[in-house]
Amino acid sequence: MVLALGITFVAFVLTQLVPGDPALSALGPVTSADPDAVAAYHAHWGMDKPLPVQYLTYLWNLLHGDLGVSQLSHQPVLTDLRHAIPATMELAFLSIAFAIVVGVPLGVVAAIRQNRASDHALRVVSLAGISMPTFWLALLALYVFFFRLEWFPGGGRLDPGTTPPGQITGLYTLDAVLHGQWSLAWDALHHLILPALVLAAFNVSLITRYTRSAILEVINDDYVRAARAKGLPERVVVIRHVLRAALPSVVTVLGLVFANVLTGAVLVENIFAWPGIGQYAYQASIELDLPAIMGVSLFVAVVYVTVNFVVDVLYGVIDPRLRLT
Amino acid sequence: MHRPAQVSRLALAALVAIVLAAAAVASAAFAAGDDMAAEGTLVVDTSFVVQTIDPQRMFEPTSQIAVKGMYDTLLTFRGQSTTPLPWLARSWKVSKDAKTFAFTLRRDVKFSDGTPLTSADVVFSYRRLINLKGSPSFLLAGVKVSAPNPYTVVLRSSTPNPALLRIVPNPSLGIVNSKVVKQNGGTDAVGADKTDKAEPYLLSRSAGSGPYVLKSYNNKTEIVLEANPQYWGPKPTFQTVVIRNLPAATQLLNVQRGQNEVALDLSAQQASTLRGKSGVRVITNASANLFNIDINTDPKISEVTANPHIQTAIRFALDYPSFVKLSGPGAVQAPGMIPTRFIGHLPPSARVKRNLAKARAEVRASGITDPKITMYYPSELTINGISFATLAQKTKANLDEVGIQVDLVGKPVNAFLETYAAGKHPMSQSYWGPDYPDPNDYLVFTPGGLAANRVNWGASKDPKLAALAKRAQRTVSDAKRAALFRQIGRIMNQRAPFFPLFQPAQAIVSSSNLTSAVLGVIWPLDVRAVGTR
Repeated sequence: MVLALGITFVAFVLTQLVPGDPALSALGPVTSADPDAVAAYHAHWGMDKPLPVQYLTYLWNLLHGDLGVSQLSHQPVLTDLRHAIPATMELAFLSIAFAIVVGVPLGVVAAIRQNRASDHALRVVSLAGISMPTFWLALLALYVFFFRLEWFPGGGRLDPGTTPPGQITGLYTLDAVLHGQWSLAWDALHHLILPALVLAAFNVSLITRYTRSAILEVINDDYVRAARAKGLPERVVVIRHVLRAALPSVVTVLGLVFANVLTGAVLVENIFAWPGIGQYAYQASIELDLPAIMGVSLFVAVVYVTVNFVVDVLYGVIDPRLRLT
Repeated sequence: MHRPAQVSRLALAALVAIVLAAAAVASAAFAAGDDMAAEGTLVVDTSFVVQTIDPQRMFEPTSQIAVKGMYDTLLTFRGQSTTPLPWLARSWKVSKDAKTFAFTLRRDVKFSDGTPLTSADVVFSYRRLINLKGSPSFLLAGVKVSAPNPYTVVLRSSTPNPALLRIVPNPSLGIVNSKVVKQNGGTDAVGADKTDKAEPYLLSRSAGSGPYVLKSYNNKTEIVLEANPQYWGPKPTFQTVVIRNLPAATQLLNVQRGQNEVALDLSAQQASTLRGKSGVRVITNASANLFNIDINTDPKISEVTANPHIQTAIRFALDYPSFVKLSGPGAVQAPGMIPTRFIGHLPPSARVKRNLAKARAEVRASGITDPKITMYYPSELTINGISFATLAQKTKANLDEVGIQVDLVGKPVNAFLETYAAGKHPMSQSYWGPDYPDPNDYLVFTPGGLAANRVNWGASKDPKLAALAKRAQRTVSDAKRAALFRQIGRIMNQRAPFFPLFQPAQAIVSSSNLTSAVLGVIWPLDVRAVGTR
């Protein structure tokens, strides 16, 4: 709660420090020359009041679940976020799942084949994955898989003009399934795969590298040698003993993975016309849409706190020794 | 040594399974096909610039596409013409002093709910536009609206306003169903800026008489219009129109893949890569947008830019053809501050030509040694595919050749506008897009006009030119107006603190089966006019 309050204060102060009057771009060059129109705009958006009053009004409204109205969309920020957050979450979930499912096994392979050709190849590939700019990868993926191979659609969450499923979770794939709209679910999944894979590329590389180094730290420990000496199959040794010991390090990186997904989403969502929180934050920033900037800041902060909390809890689940501390 | 191999085989097998699954999904996707542009659906790809689709509040390009499809105006333009044509008004009369405009309405027009459209709806729509004090309110500044009978509308302007006939076709002057809008919180009364509550309704439902009605609106993704079964005019070709938000790079790929698809935001350079390709049609021509440089005439802001010799030096130091080349095929050097499409524009022979010797001589005559100027530009702004940062660097290089040092300061658009509007920039890399296709829109650049005041060029600094501008503003006859505006343009090319650089190339790329997919002068695309071969 204190953290959230601090975040609102910092976000409010920062948005006020940015030079420029949103009225000028919102009203255009001619109307903004009319002081009456500018005054009407300021009054309409509550910008004519002293800053402390504006902030306290914001807090009061926030306590009542009102994040204000976006100057850009002319709709309540909460309504905008209600549409944008599930779009990003759907992308993030698939992207993170893919990053884990691919990254962890690749890390294991690289570690147990240390200094062999496959290890070198994976290290080079993962280095490339981390170094490659996301926007470039997104354009390349579109060119190859949409334009050349015609495997995936070129952007958006659904085919143009398709009515979305009734909102239950806001995740189109899940909502369509829950409504029994199978072709719509397929359409949503079809649109989801390519941006999710692009967004996952960086994290696959990151997880591969973290998993590899975490496994290398424990793979020659005494208890691992003891397990092998007992005649356990290597598969069991690696999965039950080595991987489990390495998991806390991998879980730590999941916090970073989530952060990467949120930052990468700004670029990926823009190129794939994905109406998520990244696009919303980008538009709000360049147009100085103060209520929207405040809403996004609050959301991102809450997500970070929650993810870190979940990661802390997961440590205890994975390693019982940590529960006592 | 065998054990690790077993584990890695397992891991590899898992990976192979994932890859196979992905391949299966992908191939299924391929089999399912991509029916992005199904029969009867027009897909318009554009980078969204949209705040609202409430006609009387909106003034952004994307909004204009949607609103133009859903709402009718009294008059209209066809294609790229700027001649007003009858639409809801079947005829009109203009008083000799260009202060009174009487429009006679058609009697067969119905809104999408079946209600007949009458003069009361026009009066409500126009008064609402004025009293909302929004972005487009200035279009009817000083105009009073009345309706002597159900099918006559009279506009009375406080000053002669011959431009009004070219203002009326603007989609912001689209006519709404007054009954429906009032029922949903709308008002046209004074104070509507505080009391009108109809916008949320108009974001979810349309209330117009146009060929399309609103199916769905999302200002981040897409706006979907459906054919209006009650439409009084010729039926549109497409049952559905989807206006979709995509960046230019994605538009470039999509328009080559789709059918019944239009891409609006490709630069001329991008569009030229598609020339000769089957399945797409590329049109590039000069936009009515105008890139220019402004300099401040106030010595308190800059002694250098206020010096008339330096002003002349800058005028002759700029390499106009290279600015044109930057924009690509279709761009033209602006002959004056009025773009080539509008009444009163100058002929190509009147363009300023680069003369470095003369520019250097003017710098010497200024008496200022090593002149330095700070030039501001909107750092992240790109229009018609041209970055202001690139233009600013080019300007700096040009002026450097004649011994004028330019320090560049890039600012985000909002910050740029704030100091620009306050008249604090010694020099700005600037731009003007037409609000309506009439030379009166360019009077802002004459002494005492809106843009002129931003460079502190008040009427007192050039009273003769200011008087000529006033005369042009009040002249009714198009022929006389054209002559006056040309006279003004020639004078401005000699002594105004504005340097018109070029009209950029604009491009529209569409599926080759589409007809009438052309960029309008005011609205980017008229979806109601787009048909198929």
